[in-house]
Amino acid sequence: MDTPTRRATSSIDPSLLTSIVKGDQQAFSQLYDHSSTLLYTLAFRILGNREEADELLQDVYLEVWRKVARYDIGRGTPIAWLITLTRSRAIDRLRARTTRGRQVTSALDVSVSSRVADLGPSPFETQADQELRMAVGSAMTSLPPAQQQAIELAYYEGLSHNEIAARLNQPLGTVKTRIKLGMSKLRESLRHSWEQGDLG
Amino acid sequence: MTHEELEEAVPLYATGALDRAERQALEAHLLSGCQSCHNALKEYQSVASLLPFGLTPMQAPRALKAKIMAARNPDPLAIDGSAKETLRPSLEPGEWMNHLFPPIVPARSFSLPWAIGFATLLIVGAGGYFAWTYSVQLSEDASKIRQLEGSVLDQATKIATLQREVSTRDRVLAELQVDAQRKANDAIELKGQLMEREVELETTRADLTAAMRGKIPQDELAALLRRPDAKVVTLAGADVAKQASAVLLYNPTTQKVWLYSAHLPECPRGTAYQLWAIDQTPVSVGTFHMDAGDTAHLLVKRLPDFEKAKKFAVSLEPAGGRPQPSGPIYLIGQAS
Repeated sequence: MDTPTRRATSSIDPSLLTSIVKGDQQAFSQLYDHSSTLLYTLAFRILGNREEADELLQDVYLEVWRKVARYDIGRGTPIAWLITLTRSRAIDRLRARTTRGRQVTSALDVSVSSRVADLGPSPFETQADQELRMAVGSAMTSLPPAQQQAIELAYYEGLSHNEIAARLNQPLGTVKTRIKLGMSKLRESLRHSWEQGDLG
Repeated sequence: MTHEELEEAVPLYATGALDRAERQALEAHLLSGCQSCHNALKEYQSVASLLPFGLTPMQAPRALKAKIMAARNPDPLAIDGSAKETLRPSLEPGEWMNHLFPPIVPARSFSLPWAIGFATLLIVGAGGYFAWTYSVQLSEDASKIRQLEGSVLDQATKIATLQREVSTRDRVLAELQVDAQRKANDAIELKGQLMEREVELETTRADLTAAMRGKIPQDELAALLRRPDAKVVTLAGADVAKQASAVLLYNPTTQKVWLYSAHLPECPRGTAYQLWAIDQTPVSVGTFHMDAGDTAHLLVKRLPDFEKAKKFAVSLEPAGGRPQPSGPIYLIGQAS
C-alpha cells in the first residue's frame, strides 16, 4: 500500500505535468497514482457502472498523455483540470448513451446512497484529501436536499436547468434558485479550501 | 440579458446547468471584461471542482493502470498525432475555462511536433509577411509610376501651352515689327512732309516778308499821299546816272522820310547807296542796296530834322555807309 507516501490529490505539483510534456513516464505514473481514485470515483458517479468508468478513465489518461501540453497553471490547478476533463468526457459518454436509447441509471440514488454511506475515512486517501472530502461532504449535507439534488443533477448528469425542471416536475425558476442558493452556500462553506491554495 | 440576470447565471454556468444560448451569452459577457462576474465565476468553478471530493472514494482497478501505461505511446506527441479522433465532446474540458482565464504562466517547454508546427507557422508567417511586403511594394511602385505618368502628362500639357503662348507672342512680335516698320516709314514720310512744309513755310514767310515789305509802306505811303501837309522833294540823276530819278516824301506826324528811287545802277560788290540830308554839312539818313535786276527801291527812315535840310543827295559809298559822303553823287534835289 503506497498511500502513506502518496501526495494529496488536491495538491498535485504542476511540475509533474511539465515532466509529462517532456515524455517522463515516471511522472505520468505518479500523476495516475495521485489522481486516479478521485477521477475513477467521479467517472463511476456519472456513468453508474465500473466497466464504463474503466473505459472512460483509460480514455481520459490517454488524452492527458497526448494533450498535457495544453495544460496551463494559470487556468487552474492540475486536479481541477483533470476533474473538468473527466467530467466532460463522462457527460459526453452519458449523452451518447442516452442518444442510443439505453436506460439511464438513476444516478441520484447512487449519489445519495454513496454520500450517506461513505463519510468515513478511506484507506486510499491522504490525510489532506480525507479532510477535504469531509469538508465537502459536510457542506453538501448541510444543504437542503432539494438544492443538493439540483446541483448533482446538473453536475453529475449534465442536465440543463430546463431538463432538471422537467425531470423533477418543478418550475424552471425554482430549479435555478435551488442551484444558485446551493452553490452560494457551498462557496461560503468551502471558501477556505481554495484560499489555502489547494484548488481554484 | 441584464447584468443581474447574467450575474445570477454564473453559478448555473459553473455547474453546467445553462443551455447553449445562455452559456454563450454569459461567455460573451465575461469576455467583454466584467470583472465582478469573472471573479464570481472563478469561485464557483472552484466550488464545482471540489464537488467530486465529497464522493465516497472508489479505487480504480489495479489492472487499469497497466492497461493505460501499455496503451499509451511512449511519445505523447506521437500518440497525439496518430490518435483516432473519437466523439467530439460538447464541452471541451479546459476550453470552457481556458478562454475565460487567460494564461499567467506560459507553456514551459515545447515538444518536437509543437516546435515543427511553430517553425512552420513562422515560415508561413514570414512568407506571408514578405509576400505582403512585396505586394505593398509593388502597389507603392505602381502608385508612384502612375503619379510620375500623371506628372509627365501635366508637364507635357504645360510645355504645349507654353509653346502655344510662345508661338502667339512670336506672331504678335512679328506684327509689332511690321507695325513698327510701317510707323518708321510713316515717320520718314512725315519727316519729308515736315521738311516740305518747312520749305513751304519758309517760302510763305519770305513771301509774307516781301508782301509786308511792300504792303505796310504802301499803306503808309497811301496814307501819306492823302495828307495835305506831306512834303515832297524830287531828286534827279547826276551825270553818272542821268536816267535815274527819285522822289522823297516826308510825314511831319511820323517824322519819316520815304525815298522812292528808280533806275539806279546795280551796286558793285562791297558798296551801297547812302542818302544824305544836307544843311550846312551832310547828315546820313540811311543806306540801301540795288541788286542786279532791281529797277526801284523804297527807303523809309526817321528824320526829325527834315525841316532844316536844304538839299538831299544819294551817293555810292562803301557797304555800311560813311559819316560823310566820299563817293560819287547819283541823285540830288533841292528842298522846297
